[in-house]
Amino acid sequence: MDKMIDDEMLVTQFKSGIQKAFDELMKRYERRIFSYLLRSVRNYEDAEELTLEVFFKAYRALGSWEPKAKFSTWLYTIASNLSIDYHRSKSRHPVFIYEDENVIEKRLVANDISSNPEKQLEDQERGEIIRAAVDKLSAKQKEVFMLTRYEGLQIKEVAETLGMAEGTVKIHLHRAIKKLQTILQPLWENNEI
Amino acid sequence: MPKCKISEAHVIDYVIGELDHTEAAEFRYHLTTCNHCIRHVNVLKHVLQLVDSAEAEIAPQAIVPTNLESKLYRRLAEEPIQKPSVHSRFTDFIARLGLILQIQKPAVVGLLAVVAIAITLLIGNPFDNETTESVDARIEQYHHQGIQRSMEDVIRNKHLRPSDEWNTVSQLNRVKDQAKGTDWAVLANEHLKGVNSKL
Repeated sequence: MDKMIDDEMLVTQFKSGIQKAFDELMKRYERRIFSYLLRSVRNYEDAEELTLEVFFKAYRALGSWEPKAKFSTWLYTIASNLSIDYHRSKSRHPVFIYEDENVIEKRLVANDISSNPEKQLEDQERGEIIRAAVDKLSAKQKEVFMLTRYEGLQIKEVAETLGMAEGTVKIHLHRAIKKLQTILQPLWENNEI
Repeated sequence: MPKCKISEAHVIDYVIGELDHTEAAEFRYHLTTCNHCIRHVNVLKHVLQLVDSAEAEIAPQAIVPTNLESKLYRRLAEEPIQKPSVHSRFTDFIARLGLILQIQKPAVVGLLAVVAIAITLLIGNPFDNETTESVDARIEQYHHQGIQRSMEDVIRNKHLRPSDEWNTVSQLNRVKDQAKGTDWAVLANEHLKGVNSKL
Protein backbone atom coordinates (compact mmCIF):
# COMPACT_ATOMS: atom_id res chain seq x y z
CA MET A 1 0.00 0.00 0.00
CA ASP A 2 1.21 3.50 -0.86
CA LYS A 3 3.24 4.92 2.00
CA MET A 4 2.24 8.42 1.02
CA ILE A 5 -1.42 7.80 1.85
CA ASP A 6 -2.15 9.64 5.07
CA ASP A 7 -3.78 8.01 8.07
CA GLU A 8 -7.11 9.72 7.62
CA MET A 9 -7.36 8.45 4.04
CA LEU A 10 -6.66 4.93 5.29
CA VAL A 11 -9.42 5.32 7.85
CA THR A 12 -11.80 6.35 5.07
CA GLN A 13 -10.73 3.35 3.02
CA PHE A 14 -11.27 1.05 6.01
CA LYS A 15 -14.73 2.47 6.54
CA SER A 16 -15.55 1.78 2.92
CA GLY A 17 -14.61 -1.87 3.39
CA ILE A 18 -10.94 -2.03 2.38
CA GLN A 19 -9.53 -4.25 5.10
CA LYS A 20 -5.90 -3.79 4.11
CA ALA A 21 -6.18 -0.16 5.18
CA PHE A 22 -6.35 -1.29 8.82
CA ASP A 23 -3.34 -3.57 8.31
CA GLU A 24 -1.39 -0.57 7.10
CA LEU A 25 -2.48 1.57 10.06
CA MET A 26 -1.48 -1.19 12.42
CA LYS A 27 1.88 -1.61 10.71
CA ARG A 28 2.51 2.11 11.05
CA TYR A 29 1.70 2.33 14.75
CA GLU A 30 2.22 -1.05 16.44
CA ARG A 31 5.87 -0.35 17.26
CA ARG A 32 5.18 3.11 18.64
CA ILE A 33 2.18 2.05 20.68
CA PHE A 34 4.02 -0.98 22.04
CA SER A 35 7.09 1.07 23.02
CA TYR A 36 4.88 3.64 24.70
CA LEU A 37 3.02 0.99 26.68
CA LEU A 38 6.21 -0.89 27.56
CA ARG A 39 7.65 2.29 29.04
CA SER A 40 4.43 2.86 30.89
CA VAL A 41 3.78 -0.59 32.37
CA ARG A 42 7.41 -1.84 32.49
CA ASN A 43 6.39 -5.38 31.65
CA TYR A 44 6.81 -6.94 28.21
CA GLU A 45 3.88 -9.33 28.27
CA ASP A 46 1.46 -6.81 29.71
CA ALA A 47 2.60 -4.23 27.15
CA GLU A 48 1.98 -6.74 24.35
CA GLU A 49 -1.46 -7.56 25.69
CA LEU A 50 -2.34 -3.89 26.03
CA THR A 51 -1.06 -3.14 22.52
CA LEU A 52 -3.34 -5.84 21.19
CA GLU A 53 -6.19 -4.35 23.20
CA VAL A 54 -5.51 -0.90 21.71
CA PHE A 55 -5.83 -2.20 18.15
CA PHE A 56 -8.78 -4.40 19.06
CA LYS A 57 -10.65 -1.39 20.44
CA ALA A 58 -9.54 0.75 17.50
CA TYR A 59 -10.77 -1.86 15.01
CA ARG A 60 -14.13 -2.12 16.72
CA ALA A 61 -14.59 1.64 17.08
CA LEU A 62 -13.07 2.86 13.82
CA GLY A 63 -16.28 2.35 11.85
CA SER A 64 -18.07 4.99 13.91
CA TRP A 65 -15.04 7.18 14.64
CA GLU A 66 -15.40 10.80 13.57
CA PRO A 67 -12.00 12.45 13.21
CA LYS A 68 -11.87 15.40 15.60
CA ALA A 69 -8.11 14.92 15.99
CA LYS A 70 -5.42 12.96 14.16
CA PHE A 71 -5.77 9.18 14.02
CA SER A 72 -2.47 8.78 15.88
CA THR A 73 -3.72 11.04 18.68
CA TRP A 74 -6.85 8.93 18.99
CA LEU A 75 -4.76 5.77 19.15
CA TYR A 76 -2.57 7.24 21.90
CA THR A 77 -5.74 8.24 23.77
CA ILE A 78 -6.90 4.61 23.76
CA ALA A 79 -3.42 3.48 24.84
CA SER A 80 -3.22 6.09 27.56
CA ASN A 81 -6.64 5.17 28.97
CA LEU A 82 -5.69 1.49 29.01
CA SER A 83 -2.42 2.32 30.70
CA ILE A 84 -4.19 4.34 33.39
CA ASP A 85 -6.68 1.48 33.94
CA TYR A 86 -3.76 -0.94 34.16
CA HIS A 87 -2.03 1.09 36.85
CA ARG A 88 -5.29 1.50 38.74
CA SER A 89 -5.84 -2.24 38.74
CA LYS A 90 -2.35 -2.91 40.08
CA SER A 91 -2.27 -2.72 43.83
CA ARG A 92 1.51 -2.51 43.96
CA HIS A 93 3.93 -0.32 42.07
CA PRO A 94 4.78 -1.78 38.63
CA VAL A 95 8.04 -3.65 38.41
CA PHE A 96 9.94 -4.05 35.15
CA ILE A 97 10.28 -7.73 34.32
CA TYR A 98 11.43 -9.44 31.17
CA GLU A 99 9.64 -12.76 31.47
CA ASP A 100 9.87 -13.95 27.90
CA GLU A 101 13.01 -15.95 27.10
CA ASN A 102 12.87 -14.83 23.49
CA VAL A 103 12.96 -11.24 24.69
CA ILE A 104 16.00 -11.86 26.84
CA GLU A 105 17.69 -13.59 23.93
CA LYS A 106 16.94 -10.76 21.53
CA ARG A 107 18.04 -8.22 24.11
CA LEU A 108 21.37 -9.98 24.54
CA VAL A 109 21.87 -10.06 20.80
CA ALA A 110 21.01 -6.37 20.63
CA ASN A 111 23.71 -5.58 23.20
CA ASP A 112 27.36 -5.66 22.33
CA ILE A 113 28.30 -9.19 23.34
CA SER A 114 32.00 -8.39 23.32
CA SER A 115 31.69 -5.73 26.03
CA ASN A 116 32.61 -6.20 29.67
CA PRO A 117 29.92 -8.15 31.63
CA GLU A 118 30.66 -6.14 34.80
CA LYS A 119 30.09 -2.92 32.94
CA GLN A 120 26.88 -4.36 31.50
CA LEU A 121 25.68 -5.14 35.00
CA GLU A 122 26.57 -1.64 36.18
CA ASP A 123 24.73 -0.12 33.23
CA GLN A 124 21.74 -2.31 33.96
CA GLU A 125 21.69 -1.28 37.64
CA ARG A 126 22.06 2.39 36.72
CA GLY A 127 19.20 2.02 34.23
CA GLU A 128 16.98 0.47 36.89
CA ILE A 129 17.68 3.30 39.36
CA ILE A 130 16.90 5.93 36.73
CA ARG A 131 13.71 4.18 35.61
CA ALA A 132 12.65 3.90 39.24
CA ALA A 133 13.01 7.70 39.40
CA VAL A 134 10.76 8.02 36.34
CA ASP A 135 8.21 5.74 38.01
CA LYS A 136 8.10 8.12 40.98
CA LEU A 137 6.48 10.75 38.79
CA SER A 138 2.73 11.09 39.16
CA ALA A 139 0.68 9.24 36.54
CA LYS A 140 -0.08 12.45 34.64
CA GLN A 141 3.51 13.74 34.85
CA LYS A 142 4.78 10.45 33.51
CA GLU A 143 2.25 10.29 30.67
CA VAL A 144 3.05 13.84 29.59
CA PHE A 145 6.80 13.28 29.84
CA MET A 146 6.68 10.02 27.86
CA LEU A 147 4.41 11.33 25.14
CA THR A 148 6.44 14.47 24.51
CA ARG A 149 9.89 13.00 24.99
CA TYR A 150 9.62 9.56 23.37
CA GLU A 151 6.54 9.59 21.17
CA GLY A 152 7.37 12.92 19.56
CA LEU A 153 3.97 14.45 20.30
CA GLN A 154 3.62 18.23 20.42
CA ILE A 155 2.18 19.86 23.55
CA LYS A 156 -1.07 20.46 21.64
CA GLU A 157 -1.32 16.80 20.65
CA VAL A 158 -0.63 15.63 24.20
CA ALA A 159 -3.37 17.98 25.40
CA GLU A 160 -5.80 16.37 22.93
CA THR A 161 -4.64 12.86 23.81
CA LEU A 162 -5.03 13.30 27.55
CA GLY A 163 -7.98 15.69 27.43
CA MET A 164 -6.11 18.51 29.20
CA ALA A 165 -5.51 22.18 28.51
CA GLU A 166 -2.16 22.92 26.88
CA GLY A 167 -1.14 25.00 29.91
CA THR A 168 -1.82 22.05 32.19
CA VAL A 169 0.31 19.79 30.00
CA LYS A 170 3.20 22.24 30.24
CA ILE A 171 2.87 22.44 34.01
CA HIS A 172 2.97 18.63 34.28
CA LEU A 173 5.96 18.51 31.97
CA HIS A 174 7.90 21.14 33.94
CA ARG A 175 7.11 19.40 37.22
CA ALA A 176 8.16 16.05 35.79
CA ILE A 177 11.57 17.35 34.69
CA LYS A 178 12.06 19.26 37.93
CA LYS A 179 11.22 16.15 39.94
CA LEU A 180 13.64 14.01 37.91
CA GLN A 181 16.34 16.59 38.57
CA THR A 182 15.58 16.58 42.30
CA ILE A 183 15.85 12.79 42.45
CA LEU A 184 18.76 12.18 40.08
CA GLN A 185 21.12 15.09 40.71
CA PRO A 186 22.13 14.01 44.25
CA LEU A 187 22.65 10.46 42.96
CA TRP A 188 25.18 11.39 40.31
CA GLU A 189 26.84 13.96 42.57
CA ASN A 190 27.42 11.12 45.06
CA ASN A 191 28.60 8.83 42.24
CA GLU A 192 25.69 6.48 42.82
CA ILE A 193 24.72 6.44 39.15
CA MET B 1 26.84 31.94 42.55
CA PRO B 2 24.12 34.65 42.41
CA LYS B 3 20.62 33.50 41.53
CA CYS B 4 19.13 34.66 38.26
CA LYS B 5 15.76 36.29 37.64
CA ILE B 6 15.05 33.95 34.70
CA SER B 7 12.35 31.46 35.71
CA GLU B 8 13.02 27.77 36.08
CA ALA B 9 10.21 27.01 33.61
CA HIS B 10 11.91 29.20 30.99
CA VAL B 11 15.17 27.29 31.38
CA ILE B 12 13.34 23.96 31.07
CA ASP B 13 11.53 25.21 27.96
CA TYR B 14 14.89 26.16 26.45
CA VAL B 15 16.36 22.72 27.16
CA ILE B 16 13.40 20.80 25.71
CA GLY B 17 13.14 23.09 22.68
CA GLU B 18 9.82 24.71 23.60
CA LEU B 19 11.01 28.32 23.21
CA ASP B 20 10.35 30.02 19.89
CA HIS B 21 13.24 31.14 17.70
CA THR B 22 13.50 34.67 19.14
CA GLU B 23 13.17 33.56 22.77
CA ALA B 24 15.80 30.88 22.27
CA ALA B 25 18.22 33.38 20.69
CA GLU B 26 17.69 35.83 23.57
CA PHE B 27 18.27 33.09 26.10
CA ARG B 28 21.45 31.93 24.35
CA TYR B 29 22.70 35.53 24.57
CA HIS B 30 21.79 35.56 28.29
CA LEU B 31 23.84 32.40 28.76
CA THR B 32 26.99 34.24 27.67
CA THR B 33 26.86 36.21 30.92
CA CYS B 34 24.99 34.01 33.44
CA ASN B 35 26.86 31.16 35.09
CA HIS B 36 23.82 30.25 37.16
CA CYS B 37 21.73 29.54 34.06
CA ILE B 38 24.64 27.77 32.31
CA ARG B 39 24.89 25.39 35.24
CA HIS B 40 21.13 24.89 35.35
CA VAL B 41 21.02 24.11 31.61
CA ASN B 42 23.86 21.61 31.93
CA VAL B 43 22.23 19.86 34.88
CA LEU B 44 18.91 19.54 33.05
CA LYS B 45 20.58 18.27 29.89
CA HIS B 46 22.43 15.66 31.92
CA VAL B 47 19.21 14.56 33.66
CA LEU B 48 17.46 14.11 30.34
CA GLN B 49 20.43 12.27 28.83
CA LEU B 50 20.42 9.83 31.75
CA VAL B 51 16.69 9.22 31.46
CA ASP B 52 16.87 8.90 27.67
CA SER B 53 19.56 6.23 27.85
CA ALA B 54 17.74 4.31 30.60
CA GLU B 55 14.47 4.42 28.67
CA ALA B 56 16.19 3.45 25.42
CA GLU B 57 17.29 0.21 27.09
CA ILE B 58 13.76 -1.00 27.72
CA ALA B 59 12.18 -0.40 24.35
CA PRO B 60 14.89 -1.19 21.84
CA GLN B 61 13.78 -1.42 18.24
CA ALA B 62 14.59 -5.14 18.09
CA ILE B 63 12.02 -6.47 20.54
CA VAL B 64 8.58 -5.63 19.30
CA PRO B 65 6.21 -8.59 19.65
CA THR B 66 5.72 -10.66 16.55
CA ASN B 67 2.43 -11.74 15.03
CA LEU B 68 0.42 -8.94 16.61
CA GLU B 69 -1.77 -8.78 13.52
CA SER B 70 -2.47 -12.51 13.59
CA LYS B 71 -3.32 -12.27 17.27
CA LEU B 72 -5.68 -9.40 16.57
CA TYR B 73 -7.50 -11.27 13.80
CA ARG B 74 -7.73 -14.34 15.95
CA ARG B 75 -9.26 -12.32 18.73
CA LEU B 76 -11.64 -10.58 16.35
CA ALA B 77 -12.70 -13.98 15.09
CA GLU B 78 -13.15 -15.31 18.62
CA GLU B 79 -15.05 -12.36 20.08
CA PRO B 80 -18.06 -11.44 18.00
CA ILE B 81 -19.50 -7.97 18.44
CA GLN B 82 -22.07 -7.85 21.20
CA LYS B 83 -25.45 -6.79 19.91
CA PRO B 84 -26.56 -3.69 21.86
CA SER B 85 -29.19 -4.30 24.51
CA VAL B 86 -32.76 -3.04 24.16
CA HIS B 87 -31.97 -0.45 26.83
CA SER B 88 -28.90 0.91 25.03
CA ARG B 89 -30.76 0.94 21.71
CA PHE B 90 -33.58 2.87 23.33
CA THR B 91 -31.14 5.34 24.95
CA ASP B 92 -29.40 5.79 21.63
CA PHE B 93 -32.71 6.36 19.94
CA ILE B 94 -33.78 8.99 22.51
CA ALA B 95 -30.47 10.83 22.03
CA ARG B 96 -30.96 10.88 18.27
CA LEU B 97 -34.56 11.95 18.68
CA GLY B 98 -33.44 14.87 20.86
CA LEU B 99 -31.16 16.00 18.06
CA ILE B 100 -33.95 15.81 15.50
CA LEU B 101 -36.34 17.71 17.81
CA GLN B 102 -34.06 20.71 17.66
CA ILE B 103 -34.46 21.06 13.91
CA GLN B 104 -37.81 19.56 12.89
CA LYS B 105 -41.42 20.52 13.32
CA PRO B 106 -42.96 18.98 16.47
CA ALA B 107 -45.99 17.34 14.82
CA VAL B 108 -43.96 15.49 12.18
CA VAL B 109 -41.37 14.54 14.73
CA GLY B 110 -44.02 13.19 17.08
CA LEU B 111 -45.33 10.90 14.38
CA LEU B 112 -41.83 9.80 13.40
CA ALA B 113 -40.98 9.14 17.03
CA VAL B 114 -43.90 6.77 17.53
CA VAL B 115 -42.98 4.85 14.36
CA ALA B 116 -39.29 4.77 15.23
CA ILE B 117 -39.88 3.56 18.80
CA ALA B 118 -42.01 0.74 17.45
CA ILE B 119 -39.34 -0.22 14.90
CA THR B 120 -36.53 0.02 17.45
CA LEU B 121 -38.29 -2.22 19.94
CA LEU B 122 -39.44 -4.72 17.37
CA ILE B 123 -36.57 -5.18 14.91
CA GLY B 124 -33.62 -3.15 16.12
CA ASN B 125 -32.08 0.25 15.61
CA PRO B 126 -33.00 1.57 12.14
CA PHE B 127 -30.08 4.00 12.21
CA ASP B 128 -27.50 1.29 12.63
CA ASN B 129 -25.96 0.89 9.19
CA GLU B 130 -23.64 -1.95 10.11
CA THR B 131 -25.46 -5.27 9.98
CA THR B 132 -24.34 -8.25 11.98
CA GLU B 133 -23.91 -10.24 8.75
CA SER B 134 -21.35 -7.83 7.29
CA VAL B 135 -19.34 -7.76 10.53
CA ASP B 136 -19.39 -11.54 10.76
CA ALA B 137 -18.21 -11.78 7.18
CA ARG B 138 -15.40 -9.34 7.92
CA ILE B 139 -14.31 -11.27 10.99
CA GLU B 140 -14.39 -14.49 9.02
CA GLN B 141 -12.20 -12.85 6.41
CA TYR B 142 -9.77 -11.75 9.13
CA HIS B 143 -9.80 -15.20 10.60
CA HIS B 144 -8.62 -16.59 7.27
CA GLN B 145 -6.06 -13.83 6.85
CA GLY B 146 -4.77 -14.69 10.32
CA ILE B 147 -4.33 -18.32 9.33
CA GLN B 148 -2.63 -17.29 6.12
CA ARG B 149 -0.23 -15.03 8.02
CA SER B 150 0.55 -17.74 10.57
CA MET B 151 1.32 -20.09 7.71
CA GLU B 152 3.49 -17.49 6.02
CA ASP B 153 5.35 -16.99 9.30
CA VAL B 154 5.95 -20.71 9.55
CA ILE B 155 7.29 -20.89 6.01
CA ARG B 156 9.47 -17.81 6.56
CA ASN B 157 10.83 -19.17 9.86
CA LYS B 158 11.46 -22.52 8.29
CA HIS B 159 13.39 -20.84 5.52
CA LEU B 160 15.35 -18.40 7.71
CA ARG B 161 15.98 -20.62 10.69
CA PRO B 162 16.30 -24.21 9.51
CA SER B 163 17.83 -25.26 12.83
CA ASP B 164 14.82 -24.14 14.84
CA GLU B 165 12.55 -27.02 13.87
CA TRP B 166 10.78 -27.38 17.22
CA ASN B 167 9.44 -23.87 16.99
CA THR B 168 8.22 -24.54 13.47
CA VAL B 169 6.49 -27.75 14.51
CA SER B 170 4.54 -25.96 17.24
CA GLN B 171 3.61 -23.19 14.81
CA LEU B 172 2.42 -25.71 12.23
CA ASN B 173 0.32 -27.51 14.82
CA ARG B 174 -1.21 -24.19 15.77
CA VAL B 175 -2.07 -23.47 12.13
CA LYS B 176 -3.64 -26.91 11.85
CA ASP B 177 -5.87 -26.18 14.83
CA GLN B 178 -6.75 -22.72 13.59
CA ALA B 179 -7.51 -23.82 10.07
CA LYS B 180 -9.33 -27.08 10.75
CA GLY B 181 -11.40 -28.09 7.74
CA THR B 182 -9.68 -25.74 5.28
CA ASP B 183 -6.96 -26.08 2.65
CA TRP B 184 -4.57 -24.36 5.03
CA ALA B 185 -4.81 -27.30 7.43
CA VAL B 186 -3.90 -29.67 4.60
CA LEU B 187 -0.95 -27.45 3.67
CA ALA B 188 0.20 -27.25 7.30
CA ASN B 189 -0.03 -31.03 7.56
CA GLU B 190 2.16 -31.49 4.48
CA HIS B 191 4.79 -29.11 5.88
CA LEU B 192 4.61 -30.88 9.21
CA LYS B 193 5.35 -34.20 7.56
CA GLY B 194 8.34 -32.62 5.82
CA VAL B 195 9.70 -31.19 9.08
CA ASN B 196 9.10 -34.41 11.03
CA SER B 197 10.90 -36.48 8.42
CA LYS B 198 14.03 -34.33 8.92
CA LEU B 199 13.95 -34.65 12.72
